[in-house]
Amino acid sequence: MERQNVPRLAALLLAGLGLLLFVSVAMARERACIPFHLKTEDGKIINPLTGENADQPYSPRQTCGACHNYDEITKGYHFQQGWDRISDDFGKKMDKPWVLSDGMLGKF
Amino acid sequence: MAKKKNTSPDEIDITIFEWVGGGPTDPKQIGVPFCGGCHPGGGGLEFDRDGKRYDQRLKAEPTLAQSLDGDYYKSKWDKSGVVEADCLLCHLPGYNFKERNKQLKMYNFKWAATAASGIGQVSGFVREDQQPTVQYNKRLFNEDGKIALDLAYPPPSENCNFCHGISDAKKRGFSWNDRRNHDVHNARGMSCNDCHPAIDNPALKVTKLQHQFAKGDENVSSVRDDLDNTIMTCRDCHSQGYMGAPRPTHLGVRPNHLEKLACETCHIPTLHIAGGEGFDVTTGAMVNYPVFNLKDLKNSPKQIGDYFDWHPRYQRIKRGQLAPVNALLGVFFTNLDKDGIYYPLFGRENKKAYEKIKDQLQPKNPMKPELHTNEQIKLMLTALTETLQGNKRFQQIKPYYHKGGKHYHLNDKGEVVVEDDHTHAGHVEGFNINHNVAPAALALGANGCGDCHSTEAHMFKGQIVTDMFGPPDGKPLTISSGRLFGCQPWAFYLNQFHQLYLSPYANILMLLVVFGLVLHYTGQGPKVADYYKSPPEIVWFPLSERWTHLFRMVSFLVLAFTGYIFFFNNITLLRMSFGTPQTAVVVHWVAGLIFIAASIASVALWGKYAKFAPYDKEWLAKKGGYIGGQEVEVPAGRLNAGQKIFFWLTGILTLITGVTGIFLIFKSSLPLTLSCVMSTIHGFFAVVFVASIIAHAYLGTIANPGTWQVLVHGKVSRSWAKKHHSEWYKEYVKQEEEEKP
Repeated sequence: MERQNVPRLAALLLAGLGLLLFVSVAMARERACIPFHLKTEDGKIINPLTGENADQPYSPRQTCGACHNYDEITKGYHFQQGWDRISDDFGKKMDKPWVLSDGMLGKF
Repeated sequence: MAKKKNTSPDEIDITIFEWVGGGPTDPKQIGVPFCGGCHPGGGGLEFDRDGKRYDQRLKAEPTLAQSLDGDYYKSKWDKSGVVEADCLLCHLPGYNFKERNKQLKMYNFKWAATAASGIGQVSGFVREDQQPTVQYNKRLFNEDGKIALDLAYPPPSENCNFCHGISDAKKRGFSWNDRRNHDVHNARGMSCNDCHPAIDNPALKVTKLQHQFAKGDENVSSVRDDLDNTIMTCRDCHSQGYMGAPRPTHLGVRPNHLEKLACETCHIPTLHIAGGEGFDVTTGAMVNYPVFNLKDLKNSPKQIGDYFDWHPRYQRIKRGQLAPVNALLGVFFTNLDKDGIYYPLFGRENKKAYEKIKDQLQPKNPMKPELHTNEQIKLMLTALTETLQGNKRFQQIKPYYHKGGKHYHLNDKGEVVVEDDHTHAGHVEGFNINHNVAPAALALGANGCGDCHSTEAHMFKGQIVTDMFGPPDGKPLTISSGRLFGCQPWAFYLNQFHQLYLSPYANILMLLVVFGLVLHYTGQGPKVADYYKSPPEIVWFPLSERWTHLFRMVSFLVLAFTGYIFFFNNITLLRMSFGTPQTAVVVHWVAGLIFIAASIASVALWGKYAKFAPYDKEWLAKKGGYIGGQEVEVPAGRLNAGQKIFFWLTGILTLITGVTGIFLIFKSSLPLTLSCVMSTIHGFFAVVFVASIIAHAYLGTIANPGTWQVLVHGKVSRSWAKKHHSEWYKEYVKQEEEEKP
């Protein structure tokens, strides 16, 4: 290799590395969540690599709820399906005493 | 669903615990969701009706499992744990839905999220009295013990389809990412979230965080109806160009069709996977029936979701439009209690009765008894009567069988009584069909009106199942599609007459008229000389009559032109002349009202001259000299007999087309049958009217050159008047003599 080409090659290499770094950062940003600890129902960290609570299932409430408002999210009708309105008397007015709510939890 | 408070085990239907963990557990079925499989967790799967966590409460109060509390009766919450909201069910691409269902059915409620996400493997099942254990997949964890998951926001459509792919296939023949059962929006790369985003609306007091997803206005589903119509509608996107949605012009579509029909009616003409025709709970299980192949019953789809082309039924929905739906026909049993309420029977009650008579019934398929004869129905109702004896949830035992719009019960003599079903069980409500939208080129109307208005078109003549197992042979009973939305058969045939005969043959009729006139002209020739023999000097038509005629003539020309466009749905001409169908419609009925007014004026002006007189017989006998090729002298009043006939003919035609036309101005408010009748009568007599006017115009111009000038200055020559209107001329001269000073 001729000496005069070395700086060019080095610049090219640096540009390639920069591009690689940019792509990896950009891809990381596409993820909805950054890496996080799994947690048990009691809020304890699960670390399978150290074996810490690694025999327990993870709890979405504790894990996702650490960053997101779990109680607010679960107000959605997909989660409640009428449970937030369920009552033994719900269907009496419509002469359908077996109907306990307006959602799949209690409608039938 | 079991109530919270119960006084007897008889009152307890499926409990919340069973709702989550029930369903068959054989290897074939274990991955298929039961009720809880399609619930993401949280809410009623985490907290009881008192707001307490099931697992913690049952551990604290273990006797609850032996109580009649609907939240705890025979439950194992203390061992199964609860089902917390599984965020990854929606947000993790590649989530294992079958594994989730397996874990739930095996009562591994709190392990389901771990196993189905693939984060860890779970061994052991609570249902088998084992303590499940977890083995995490260490490859997913970083050195610091944090997990790195490639979660998706918004959720991918594939995850929505874990649940909606199954339930909505049954309800409405829905599938997504399906080349055969395609959807034009799916083909453009749209996802569920594009139309059903999380609602963020301060007016509704809903924030995006709450995960309340925008929804339409489903007929049957009732959950959170207060959030109905929060979805972007077809009109929203296609008028604003949202996501590049094209703006349709619909110039080829009658305006009333756009008002009366939902977009889906034309744009979802066919579904390509079998939806559900109905279900039968006679055996105690819910046995689903895929839509029938009515042309070849034996080759009906085997199960819901099989590839099969079928057309929806149509139903007027809440916003008043006709829309495609699929009605799942229910076949089930109730008990009429003393309070007059028909209580649906529990699956276990049906099952117990069915088991008693199964051997006597000897159905071809024990899972599909398809009761349809009185003998079969009597057996089942008798078995139910016996089974329900002593059932503490009823004060009276009177079982009913509901099927095909009828209900069946036993009278005091033990005979089967059949009556129309006006109970809640007999009410058929269709599930809206609003996905699997076809490209515009495949929509109804893309090939013209015949897509719906032809003898074979499904819209009116398609057969819709009303009873899956009809008497006497158990084959499905059907009804014409049009009957379901209020079109009587005779009205449909009348409409067919319009489409099949009137429209195609109207042109031929016109050509025949013109041909006849040409024959007359070539045989008879024009009466050229006499109008010009001497100068016009006496007034035959005063100004008021000339104006009346002018209004009538111009408005008729406008009516004939716009009517032609409607009659043949000539879109090119419509676009060139009026731009939009709405404009053409308004022009047509405004011209119609002017024509009616001018016609009334003409009756007032000419009515007395159009009365028939004895000398008209001679005019008629000699055909007014118009046929025969010889000049004849015939008596006539101010109007000759031919003109009188024409006058009354147009009067009658004006009356018919006017009355029907006024009705049709309000077409969108008319019942469908009346609308069909009115438009057919209007169209038929309009054709006759135009043919008559062509003949009239011929006689007033080509056949009698020069006479049209009367419409300008109103005058004729004395010699012409004497020859053609001799009786009137005599009176005119007489009056003239009298007025001389």
